[in-house]
Amino acid sequence: MSYLDNIRNFSIIAHIDHGKSTLADRLIEKTGLVEARDMKEQYLDNMDIERERGITIKLQTTRLKYKAADGQEYILNLIDTPGHVDFNYEVSRSLAACDGAVLVVDATQGVEAQTLGNVYLALDEDLEILPVLNKMDLDSARPDDARAEIEDIIGLDASEAPEISAKTGMGIDEMLEKLIEVIPHPEGDPDGKLKALIFDSYYDSYKGVIIYTRIFDGRVRRGDIIRMMNTGKNYEVTEVGYCIPGTVPADELKAGEVGYICGSIKQVADARVGDTITLASNPAEAPLKGYKKAQSMVYCGIFPAEGEKYENVKDALEKLQVNDAAFNFEPENSAALGYGFRCGFLGLLHMDVITERLAREFDLDVITTLPSVVYKVVMKDGRVLDIQNPSNLPDPTLIAHIEEPIVKADIMTPNEYVGSIMSLCQNRRGNMIHMEYLTKTRVQLHYEIPLNEVIYDFFDALKSRTRGYASLDYEFLRYQTAKLVKLDILLNREQIDALSTIVPEEEAMAKGRGICEKLKDIIPRHQFEVPIQAAIGQKIIARETVRAYRKDVLAKCYGGDITRKKKLLEKQKAGKKRMRQFGTVTVPQEAFTEVLKLDDGR
Amino acid sequence: MTERPPKAETVNDLALKTGLYLHFPFCVKKCNYCAFLSFDAEGSPRKEYTEAMIKEIETRGLFFNHEREIDSVYLGGGTPSVMDVSQLSLIMKAVRKNFDIKSDAEITIEANPGTLGKTDRVTRTKLQAYRFMGVNRLSMGVQSMNNDRLHLLGRIHTAEDVIRDFRMAREAGFDNINLDLIFSVPGETTEDALKDAEAIIALGPEHISCYSLQLEEGTPFYEMADQGLITEVDDEEDRRTYHEICSLLKKSGYEHYEISNFARLADEDIGKDPDAVSPFRSIHNSGYWDMSDYMGIGLGASGFISRIRYRNTPDLNEYLTFFREHDPADIYISDIPSAEYHINSEFDMLSEKVFTGLRRREGIKYSETGLTEEEFWRVFSYGRKEAERFSEQGLLIIDKEGLRLTEKGIDISNSIMAEFV
Repeated sequence: MSYLDNIRNFSIIAHIDHGKSTLADRLIEKTGLVEARDMKEQYLDNMDIERERGITIKLQTTRLKYKAADGQEYILNLIDTPGHVDFNYEVSRSLAACDGAVLVVDATQGVEAQTLGNVYLALDEDLEILPVLNKMDLDSARPDDARAEIEDIIGLDASEAPEISAKTGMGIDEMLEKLIEVIPHPEGDPDGKLKALIFDSYYDSYKGVIIYTRIFDGRVRRGDIIRMMNTGKNYEVTEVGYCIPGTVPADELKAGEVGYICGSIKQVADARVGDTITLASNPAEAPLKGYKKAQSMVYCGIFPAEGEKYENVKDALEKLQVNDAAFNFEPENSAALGYGFRCGFLGLLHMDVITERLAREFDLDVITTLPSVVYKVVMKDGRVLDIQNPSNLPDPTLIAHIEEPIVKADIMTPNEYVGSIMSLCQNRRGNMIHMEYLTKTRVQLHYEIPLNEVIYDFFDALKSRTRGYASLDYEFLRYQTAKLVKLDILLNREQIDALSTIVPEEEAMAKGRGICEKLKDIIPRHQFEVPIQAAIGQKIIARETVRAYRKDVLAKCYGGDITRKKKLLEKQKAGKKRMRQFGTVTVPQEAFTEVLKLDDGR
Repeated sequence: MTERPPKAETVNDLALKTGLYLHFPFCVKKCNYCAFLSFDAEGSPRKEYTEAMIKEIETRGLFFNHEREIDSVYLGGGTPSVMDVSQLSLIMKAVRKNFDIKSDAEITIEANPGTLGKTDRVTRTKLQAYRFMGVNRLSMGVQSMNNDRLHLLGRIHTAEDVIRDFRMAREAGFDNINLDLIFSVPGETTEDALKDAEAIIALGPEHISCYSLQLEEGTPFYEMADQGLITEVDDEEDRRTYHEICSLLKKSGYEHYEISNFARLADEDIGKDPDAVSPFRSIHNSGYWDMSDYMGIGLGASGFISRIRYRNTPDLNEYLTFFREHDPADIYISDIPSAEYHINSEFDMLSEKVFTGLRRREGIKYSETGLTEEEFWRVFSYGRKEAERFSEQGLLIIDKEGLRLTEKGIDISNSIMAEFV
């Protein structure tokens, strides 16, 4: 009998709030790792933003010890996965480090699109899947319906799915026993050539980059010279160990085990998720399959707000990049906003998280411009340019055609919302591929939609139209030719480059009108009229006017009013500081991000 | 009781112009637009309030230690005229005993039409009594001369009451009377407001205050506007009204000496000297815009003495209890329960001087700030560009002496003043 027989490497996959984190907490508590009183709620999600949004972005991995009913002690390596579509690739690498997965289905809700997406990813990795029904403590739990959905939609046998409540701890022991039975132990040759999969990494200011890894073959210990097989870089190992959680050093890591490796690595981009680690002295023949360099799908400009230093923003972006290989940036110069950065993200959520971290962790005041996708601009001379900044779009007369990214979007919804989702997708230039009834009341819609249409407020629109019941999963499909034009915005006849967008020609009029109306609400009244115009090239296609204000005066100012009046004036001045001055027009900073949240019922 | 150190806490900068403000937080009925602290006069502890106020007068008087003369006294509210004559008389006696009131001091009482007396005889007696107490200026909250509008505002009087009370005030010997006017009442047009102003001018008061109605949170008007029952007059109409009233008043011989305040010129200056200064400017209120000291006395009253801005507690119970339980001889003025207490920094002083000064016809002179022109603009270097832009737009006049708003600049005075805080 091998040590491998007593190891189980698994992930928990679940739709966003179906209780994955709560279950992880319960497992950690159950296996005695952390005393119940020390449990921070949702142990694995450790970033503030994640906690607030109830989602997991960065992975946390934990080694649990469990004494099973058969009297033996098992090592359970729980590998956490991010719970959002933007992080699909990271999910797939985490799953590749596992031998099985626990599929958590909310017994009150049933199967959702993202669950399905992750299940397919797990099946791609040949993982054994153990379905469990969660939230069984709630009166609204419908275990039989949920079971039927798992069988009908996913095709998994759910007849023996444990019924649990991660919240109360009910059924957790039964689940763990079942897990040991169903999920296979890892295989591998501890004496073979080292092959270890990087499934996550983060930067620690003392140890450098800490790599989370699953060893498939061979062993690694301190002092070894390791090689990243895809990037080709070598590092000396300074420490290996287990995540219990945190980092607890050990003598070595060997085949089948999950743990961490440190090697004075300066930034996470040098230890990319999906890369294979081997020994420089005795390298494996080929890396593990599935490595992919993270691709930015969404871009936006980040500029220091009035009074914020460029250098501070740069420092913060560099620090974030050290920890996030999927995030990249380069300097950018805008006529309207001055010096700043063009930043690339996996998706809109990734962008939100980064900008929020800038504000929260680094206390920075930044302006974020409208997000944009990457367009392939085919020039008449045959050159192909990647353009993600509308300001860089070449002269239209030199362009042969423009291609835009299209995503495959899967939307799962209760059938009553199908009509409104279809009209939403149609308005967003979506093309329905097909629609299937998963059960009598659950429908999955398959669409091809330009990514450009998804990145603005598609999630919000989808949620509001379906009262939060629909779920979305999307992935890049292909580039496709489209009739696109650059839409410029002029304030008081001055073009503001940071407000330019690339839009489909047939929608330019409506979009231009929408943006002008929105800006009319955002831009404060000045002492003069401020015309707001939308233009394509020289042609004005929409116009609004911010009327001049006539009154900003306090009629009474006597003994008791002076302190109050002073506070009011100070507030007014502070408000003005948060504005950007364009010639004679003052624009609040939020204009740049708010402007395309067009609440026009589309 | 332990021995307290001798009272070293007395005022040290003498010879400053100083006012006294006494606050009376009682009203017959709260008006629909009013957000001020006030209580129903009916059943209110006016007697206890009088006793507490007298003790506060004694406490604060000890602080001045007879080393400073008082230029003005202002009895405001609320509605001071709902107090009994005997109560006001005791208070004024205490004021004179504890402070050194200049012989020519301006002493004002706010008296709302309809609150003076139920009969002409009572009104006449009350007005006489005020004269005997030394009150030499009357400020009447007329607000409108249109009965429908007065009703909407929640006032308890009519235009006829105003005319009668004004006549009786004159008969009682008041030769310095202010009338308050509110314009931009929901539904009111510029023409309506001008009719009001004309009716007020026809009475011939020495002083007129004109306020544009502001909807304040927590007032019945605010609620009504929220429910769509009334509609605020739009900015364009409001400003048109303001400027029309300004020119009507100027034409009628009034000096526009502060954003909302007008004082009648001496007869010989009317229509002759455009630079003439009215002898009827309010001494007390001018103090607020000149950064003079003022001692606030009474519930929720604000004061500004020797660079300290304070506000007494607005909690009636706390106020009454404190003075019931303490003897003025045993307490410092800093013991008086306060809601605010702030020692102004040099910059606070400067910026307050600028924004209060800009309210005046004269504007703010560099010399008043203690700075040279160059120093002034060094301190406000960040506001200079904006100030010059305002000047180009004809909203602000900047010259060798200082800066002042134009009549057009008043409309957006907050944004100009905000450059200097």
